[in-house]
Amino acid sequence: MSGESEGCSMKRREFLRWGLTAVTAAPLVWSSGCRFHQFGHVVEGDQSDMVGSHAAGAETYNALIDESMAKLLGRQEAACLPAAYSEGALGPKRICFVCVENCSIEEMGDFKEQVYEQIDTQILQAPMFEPINRRFVDAALRETRLRPDALFLPENMRMFSAVLEQQGQPFDYLLYAKLTSGTTEKNHSTQRDYLLTLEMIDVHTGRYDKESAKVRKGYHKTRVGKWRNYNPFTRRI
Amino acid sequence: MAELQSVYAADMSGLPGKSASAQRLPTRVRVWAESGRNRSYCQVAVLFGLLLHGFFLAGCASHSHRVRDARMAYYQGDLEHAGELLRKAQKSHSGERDCLILDQAMVSLVGGDAAEAERLLREVRDRFDFLEQKSLGESALALMTDDTAVAYGGEDYEKVLIRALLAVCNLMHDGSDAIAYSLQVDQKQREILERAQETMPEEVKPAYRHVALGAYLRGILQEESLTHYDDASRSFGTVANWEPEFELVKYDLQRVQSGVHSARGHGVVYMLAMVGRGPSKEEEVAEATTVSLLIADRILTATGKHSLPPTIAPVKIPRVVVPHCTIDSVAIDVDGRPFGLTQTVTDVGRLAWQQCEASRNRRIATAVVRRTLKKAAIYSVKEMTGVESPLVNVAYDAAGVLWEATEKADTRGWTFLPAKFQVLRIELPVGVHRLSLRSAWHGQPVGPSYQADVEVIDGRNTYMLATFPDARLVGKILTSNAVNSRQ
Repeated sequence: MSGESEGCSMKRREFLRWGLTAVTAAPLVWSSGCRFHQFGHVVEGDQSDMVGSHAAGAETYNALIDESMAKLLGRQEAACLPAAYSEGALGPKRICFVCVENCSIEEMGDFKEQVYEQIDTQILQAPMFEPINRRFVDAALRETRLRPDALFLPENMRMFSAVLEQQGQPFDYLLYAKLTSGTTEKNHSTQRDYLLTLEMIDVHTGRYDKESAKVRKGYHKTRVGKWRNYNPFTRRI
Repeated sequence: MAELQSVYAADMSGLPGKSASAQRLPTRVRVWAESGRNRSYCQVAVLFGLLLHGFFLAGCASHSHRVRDARMAYYQGDLEHAGELLRKAQKSHSGERDCLILDQAMVSLVGGDAAEAERLLREVRDRFDFLEQKSLGESALALMTDDTAVAYGGEDYEKVLIRALLAVCNLMHDGSDAIAYSLQVDQKQREILERAQETMPEEVKPAYRHVALGAYLRGILQEESLTHYDDASRSFGTVANWEPEFELVKYDLQRVQSGVHSARGHGVVYMLAMVGRGPSKEEEVAEATTVSLLIADRILTATGKHSLPPTIAPVKIPRVVVPHCTIDSVAIDVDGRPFGLTQTVTDVGRLAWQQCEASRNRRIATAVVRRTLKKAAIYSVKEMTGVESPLVNVAYDAAGVLWEATEKADTRGWTFLPAKFQVLRIELPVGVHRLSLRSAWHGQPVGPSYQADVEVIDGRNTYMLATFPDARLVGKILTSNAVNSRQ
């Protein structure tokens, strides 16, 4: 009888041992030993963006564009004279959005075109602005063979304006978007500050307006890195 | 004989003489294996399995042998025959299908069907992305057999070159997706560099070269936009850093930093040349490893209860072979006047060799682990089935040797690549121009001349692609704005 119960207990122990091994090994095999097909899903409007682990992504660029455009539009509410001035009428400012300059440490990759389009769309939606279609701007740059940064020489500016006017697209302001970054390193952690600057230059007077937005991001080799560098004790008072 | 019988008897009765490992086996298996008749069945079954495995795998040709004829046909310009051989091989060797499709894509591209080449390359790109995940089943099978049991997921440089060639193919027929492909080149290169930083030993990191062709294509596409000079400058800077011997990029860099794409009324022709015969992999015997294993197994055989299968079969690993090039560039004449020579933006041969060298130690280590496991498996089977008869022992050793001898080095790869990707930038006035191409050696034209007419568009890039594995052109001269081409 005792031998039988001993046998039973041995079987139970063996069963438990094998069971535990299987339970431990199964997720490991499942996660590391199988190939999975990729799948996609639509991110709902109220869901937050993914945060890039190695570089800026939607969470950075969207915030930069929204903040800088809101500041710029807020400042530019006062109406100005249109290029084709008519007595007593105050029209929207005609904007020639030239380009997005990337002077940061990271490649913008496919975000560059998207940043341009997002800014262009927001300008178009603002009642005090009237942007020139990008295709006219590109055609004028191709026609004149001018670099975007060479438009400030008076002769170049005249040439560029003349080409756009020939196409029926006169403008009052040149708009440039510039992305810069600053990197601070501390052991295995890095903080990168992204600054998007929108610069609007009056081509008639040379006066300019400028607005910036900043997003700070921390990159860490370990999860603990975030808590070590950004905790309640490191908050600015 | 009497002694042998007593050992068997002791084994069967569970008295002293029963091996420790047999005692550790689960009860049911132990009881089954200890039965004299079952032991014989077990021995015969294991031997039969090993011999069958050896019978089926011994003498199988490697990938490099299989594509040899197709490669020769390709280099001789017989693209139809090369394509036929590749299609036939795809049907019979599914494990090499992706490599063969890559070669097929080269045949299509060189033959003038850039759209088909793009479709094939896209297929393999997606498959290689999928195969970046590890499969435990395949890894286990590879330990039992060899590395060819694992689905081929491409070398790092191949993954980048697929995307670069996708951009080239797309530029040759409509160019609508070329920017997207060039962005993918950047992304893949970045992924590989990040992975290399984490996994590569410090001593091989400097030798781990980068594919500058991808960054260069991105640079020229960005420059053509006339608004993204900053991105173009970044890309050309990267190329200058990765390929310091590529002199032309210094002018490109200077131009995008302070000049313009082209003068008014001018456009640019980019002559892309695939020069020389590219690298392939062949089996190599790792001599030092083989000798070390030989010594180790002799020591274990002398001290252990059972003998190990002798290390007669050498340990095999792949090595990259780059054929000797008889030309080093392509000389270009424009409208009858000499213009210049193409320059190397990516040396595929050197890239393949260096990446293979970087992973050589890992491959040897895998081969040693596999060999050790095989020897251990034979030893365990001898222990389990209680082999005592010298004849059965020899039969097991022979089966073990056969099992080891069936190992093959993984020689799969993209074998139709050129030795070098070269480029020349030609700024020309708008209109139709005639370009003559001749293979060259040390600056002197050595082969026949091939002509193609090209239309230059104001402020735009026009792309041409020619393949010179030797002195003679293979296939057609592809042009994004072709007028016609003839010899």
